[in-house]
Amino acid sequence: MNPVSPEKTMLKNPSPEHRAPRKDQVIATRKSCAADGVGLSHYILTERKGH
Amino acid sequence: MAVTHASRDAGNRPSGSHLNTGEGPTLLPLDIGHPAYMGLVDPDTAFWALVHKDRLADALEGGELLTSFHQKRASFQEEMQTLRFGLQPSAVYFNPTDRCNLDCSYCYIPQTMRRHGTEMSREKLLEALRLLQGHFAKTLPPSRRPRVIFHGAEPLLNKEALFAGIAAYNNEFDFGVQTNATLLDGEAVDFLTSRGVSIGLSLDGIRAETTHRTRKSWAGNLNVHAKVLEAMERLAGYPYYSVIVTVTRENASELPQMVEFLHERQVPNCLLNMTRCTLPAAREVRLADEEAATPFIAALERSHELFRQSGRKLVVANFANILLAILAPTARRLMCDISPCGGGRAFFALAANGDLFPCSEFIGLDSFRGGNLFAGGLDAALTSPAFHRVTGRTVETIDPCRRCAIRHFCGSPCPAEAHEMNGGMDRPGAFCAFYEEQTRYAFRLIADGIADDFLWDGWDDGVVTLFDKVGPLVTPEVSPP
Repeated sequence: MNPVSPEKTMLKNPSPEHRAPRKDQVIATRKSCAADGVGLSHYILTERKGH
Repeated sequence: MAVTHASRDAGNRPSGSHLNTGEGPTLLPLDIGHPAYMGLVDPDTAFWALVHKDRLADALEGGELLTSFHQKRASFQEEMQTLRFGLQPSAVYFNPTDRCNLDCSYCYIPQTMRRHGTEMSREKLLEALRLLQGHFAKTLPPSRRPRVIFHGAEPLLNKEALFAGIAAYNNEFDFGVQTNATLLDGEAVDFLTSRGVSIGLSLDGIRAETTHRTRKSWAGNLNVHAKVLEAMERLAGYPYYSVIVTVTRENASELPQMVEFLHERQVPNCLLNMTRCTLPAAREVRLADEEAATPFIAALERSHELFRQSGRKLVVANFANILLAILAPTARRLMCDISPCGGGRAFFALAANGDLFPCSEFIGLDSFRGGNLFAGGLDAALTSPAFHRVTGRTVETIDPCRRCAIRHFCGSPCPAEAHEMNGGMDRPGAFCAFYEEQTRYAFRLIADGIADDFLWDGWDDGVVTLFDKVGPLVTPEVSPP
């Protein structure tokens, strides 16, 4: 069985101060990748094994 | 050069220069319920910007944001076109049996099928995998491994055939199993985890009393809750594992506690799904649309607190998918919340007798049967009128979706609900208000800079940035009148 890697899941600096107001006047981003989602509401594959 | 009000009104700008007219960019304002930010959304391309409220008018008058968007709009449109209409099926939801040892209140498979239905023989299951492999070898690039998810009904009722299929074809497919966990004993867990099979379980409560309100055995004598907990103990630490919580009025008030329960047991992913309303029995336990967001968002907030306290995430995958639909539309994992949905075009469903449907949700609705894998074949089913009814359902033909700013973050799911409960494929799905609130909440997280806390670590590995304007608003220099 493959354990979940702690480095992948652990927050480096947990802090309750996580909602500091942003100073940015505009926030607009868009990212992209090859579309390969095949999940439905009865099942979801979260990882991208073999891709 | 300074741009004066007079010159900007002189009508000498080319077509495409003005917001919301002619060839210009289209951006609808979206109140996201944030104290500082207002959203702007182009519904067709799913492009968005959050603008500080005191700079909103300046942003709409022109400047770098609008210019940059206008330059990229065609490529965003093309990306959405490919995502919505250009995919090849690459996954099969495979029911190796119609039967189930449970009688859940909201199941979308008719009760008679689950009680008396067909079971696929070992030979037929292996033949089905051979046929599917042959199909995908023709349609997918060699680098893309198709997925087969054994689903149900309860697939482990046909464990011998199912495991034979996984053993024979584990190099050809990425396999998954969605199970109610009542038959997921130590031997089954060892078999599946040693082969890297993704596993989904179902659990509806933190106590047996809650779980058993909806996840019922036929004779009422199976301790479903305890069985699932035993399976969760066996799976602790396995990374390819998730738990589906079907949200109904029986468990909605316990959702934050459910998140605590799953987080404590190191579940890496969960789905907090509003029950699908395709069959009438499910509508008896559903939450009203306007009641769904409050407990759901409370659960998300609790998951975030737990992450901040412990440093370990429990990703609520259906909400993470809404965030992805906003941040990177092509990175979405779920294909329900897009139109057309993934049914019949990103995946399809195979019933135990070989019948083919666009999605598991349609198994039991005979008018959506597209054909049979063993008689007539897959190609005929994929191009059948039954499949086209689902693959042709777009938000542009649905009212009010056609004028909704968030139509590509929602997709008006689900077509089976729309058809069976709301009267047609041109009707919205069951949870419009819920999607509105989810989307607004997602934008508020983005505004607060904490969206990544709700996503899988590494979600953007291999993802490229197409647009990135974060900072001061750059507008044309305007001379005072």
